[in-house]
Amino acid sequence: MQAESMGKLTPRLRLLFAVSSIALLAVLAISPFKDFVREWKQYKRGYVRFAQTRPDTKKLLADYNPSIDQIWIPGMNVVDRCTTCHQGVTQTSLAGSAVPQPYRQHPPIPHNVRDWGCTMCHRGQGPATEVAEAHESTLAWEQPVLPARFIQASCGTCHHENLAETPQLARGRELLAELNCQGCHKLQGVPRPAMLGPDLTNVGTKVTREWIYKWLKEPRTIVDKDGNTIVNGYETKEEPRMPKFRLAEGELRALSAYLSVQKAKPLPAYKIDARVVAAWSKNPELASQGELRFRQMFCSTCHSLAVTRAGETKLIGGDIGPELTKAGSKVKPEWLIAWLRDPQGYLAHTRMPRYGWSDEDLFKVTQYIATKLTDSDLLLTVPQLGEPAEPEIQLGHRLFVEKGCASCHAIEGVPPQKDFGPDLSAVGGKNASELEFGKSQIPRHLVSYIQAKLQDPTSVNAAARMPQYNWTPADLDAVTVALLSMKGPPPTSALQNLVVQKKEGEFHPTGAFAEVYERYKCYTCHKFNGHGGDLAPDLSFEGSRAQRQWIADFLKNPQTLRPTLVLRMPQFNMSDKDAATLADYITMVLQTPQADPSKLDVKQFTPAMVVLGKQLYEVKYQCQSCHTIGGSGGYVGPNLNNAGNWLTAAWVEAWLKNPQALLPGAIEPRRNFTDAEVQALTAYLMTLRSGGKPQKSASQGSSPSAVHGAGR
Amino acid sequence: MKRRAFMSLFVLLATTGISGCRKQADARKADPLRSGYDVEADWTDGHAIPLTYREAQGKRIFYQQCVWCHADSTPAGPSNRSNLTPMPPLLNDGATLNAESDEYMQNIMTLGGSAMGKSAMMPPYGRALTPEEIRSVIAFTRAIAQPPYQPPGRPGSQYVNK
Repeated sequence: MQAESMGKLTPRLRLLFAVSSIALLAVLAISPFKDFVREWKQYKRGYVRFAQTRPDTKKLLADYNPSIDQIWIPGMNVVDRCTTCHQGVTQTSLAGSAVPQPYRQHPPIPHNVRDWGCTMCHRGQGPATEVAEAHESTLAWEQPVLPARFIQASCGTCHHENLAETPQLARGRELLAELNCQGCHKLQGVPRPAMLGPDLTNVGTKVTREWIYKWLKEPRTIVDKDGNTIVNGYETKEEPRMPKFRLAEGELRALSAYLSVQKAKPLPAYKIDARVVAAWSKNPELASQGELRFRQMFCSTCHSLAVTRAGETKLIGGDIGPELTKAGSKVKPEWLIAWLRDPQGYLAHTRMPRYGWSDEDLFKVTQYIATKLTDSDLLLTVPQLGEPAEPEIQLGHRLFVEKGCASCHAIEGVPPQKDFGPDLSAVGGKNASELEFGKSQIPRHLVSYIQAKLQDPTSVNAAARMPQYNWTPADLDAVTVALLSMKGPPPTSALQNLVVQKKEGEFHPTGAFAEVYERYKCYTCHKFNGHGGDLAPDLSFEGSRAQRQWIADFLKNPQTLRPTLVLRMPQFNMSDKDAATLADYITMVLQTPQADPSKLDVKQFTPAMVVLGKQLYEVKYQCQSCHTIGGSGGYVGPNLNNAGNWLTAAWVEAWLKNPQALLPGAIEPRRNFTDAEVQALTAYLMTLRSGGKPQKSASQGSSPSAVHGAGR
Repeated sequence: MKRRAFMSLFVLLATTGISGCRKQADARKADPLRSGYDVEADWTDGHAIPLTYREAQGKRIFYQQCVWCHADSTPAGPSNRSNLTPMPPLLNDGATLNAESDEYMQNIMTLGGSAMGKSAMMPPYGRALTPEEIRSVIAFTRAIAQPPYQPPGRPGSQYVNK
């Protein structure tokens, strides 16, 4: 009975069996179902539906494949499945913002997407197959996609040399160097120069204790209640190099005491005859004549002054040297005279040239700075400090090292702390878990960390020693880009081979030229074989371009070739001998084979060619749209009034054939002149000669408008 | 019968439950200014215009080559525009430039003004810039145009409209 009933299926058992089979089926169905609704498969099917709405469906679906697509480049650690969803990246017909993402074409860039993958530039997780895991930072996958406005950081990871296409990255690198970040941090590709901040060994001979106190408390920059940056009370966009340190009253007193006693080397005694000084001092126009000299020598090419026009105050002038609006209230007059005579005697590495001052000029300009560039209110907020006491000096000495002052400013016998700030040479590759966010409420990823730290170092770490900088939004992004580009040494040898090293221009002049070159610091503004500044024309081939006599005359009395320039070559008061040394070296050495005078015979120019050239210049090619001859014409290119005395015929010919070959990035486009046209234009330009010094007055006449232009 | 209904309900719940587990696609709308490659301040009222990659390249080339005559203020101060007759259009002058097709713009930049029956003061850039660089300048022109540029709907419509 029992055995029988065992084989018999009771309805209850039947039901149990049915339920469990259905449950089993359902469980088995979960996996195929989950597979079917996977996120990437929806994008795959979406792409097919999308392609069917386009006229070129067949082409769009030619290499369609319903499974996961991936770009695999083993040597570069690239396993990118991004093209699984981003299926249109190489389809030219899917360009433009009208095409919905993720199907849009990748904009054309110098690198082929198929050869480089996606995460090399965009970061994010290549192997991930879900939108969130690929693009955002999750617990297991920590590298989020880089926002597009920081994308130039990825260019900089391999391209250590700046590219024309990455201006933001170049600006960021420039800021890192300019703001002396390498004083405290190790940075990839930013070397430590000979001098970061000024050497303070003798600072006590230059400024008073009260001024030091004021400077440390508010290093020029004050942000008013509207958020505007103020330099000594003047609004500016230039960020001063000295940042604001958060110093307590006692620390300010101690540091100012310590610095004001730094007088290791007394000022060299230089006395102008007292009787002569007395005679000059009677001149009521003294300061205004000094101002005129200050302007004539183009001090404003490197130094700026605040100018108020129509109730608006702006700084006008260059930023190579410090802003001088209130310099008279800052430095001691005897120091100023010693400095102007021999800047290197005070600061060995300063870029200030040694001008050939006459005593009278020196006296007048010093008087101008000491009496006119002043502000009686500058030190009103500074308490009475008195003579520095010994304990204050001792404390100041300790603080000078502990606060990191010594990392940028040298004082003889005070070595800086080693590795004062964290090493940032690999900061761009850090994961969020490696960063300290403190109590801040910012998103947990690298970009927001870097930006928060730069804007307010204490927001992520209350005990941060890093000083406070004031950034414009564009500069903040630029510095962020430069930092994100530093990912340390490449992880594979294939990536190592891709790195484009920074080319360091080398220029080592010797002999008499080197002496004069160093005295006038030509490389501060001009480039020689890739070495030097960007402010003024590249002189690597100046010997091929200009005639010797013109160079010598120009150095003695720099005239204006480009009427709109605000920043001009300073008047160095150069001696005939120095000018001749420079002109000889330039014409002999700074040559390019592309402008070959031996292939050109100036005597073959006929008057007919000159007439044709003039016609081509004025009618066919209308060169006057950019160049000025006589009183009329444009001012994009240089003034050609004196071209015949200035330029060499070989240079003019080579330039007309291909400007970019002689000067990469020249504004003048390369044109399709015939050889006969080039010859005629050269013949015409070589006949343009202006006499003695008519340009001098022209340059003075145009300077107010030029200055006005800069102020706009 | 009741049980069967219960069972089917169970199966239904199980399947809907699974599909409910799927993460919802992120519906956050990205701010175009944060996701743009670059930003250009509008020349008249200064509002920020986000730029795509190609437009950003065009902006870079514009500020190197074209700004001197096609803008009223330049990085070097005053503009050369007022020295020229006829005065060249500002690059953001949509009233003039929106009517020109991309092909026309490409041609006048490549071949110069005289080749297109315009002022010879516009030099040819075909030997100084690549076709792609010129296309990016056109893209930048379109991006900053005031009044805004409306691309032709589809090939052919531009002829119908005229």
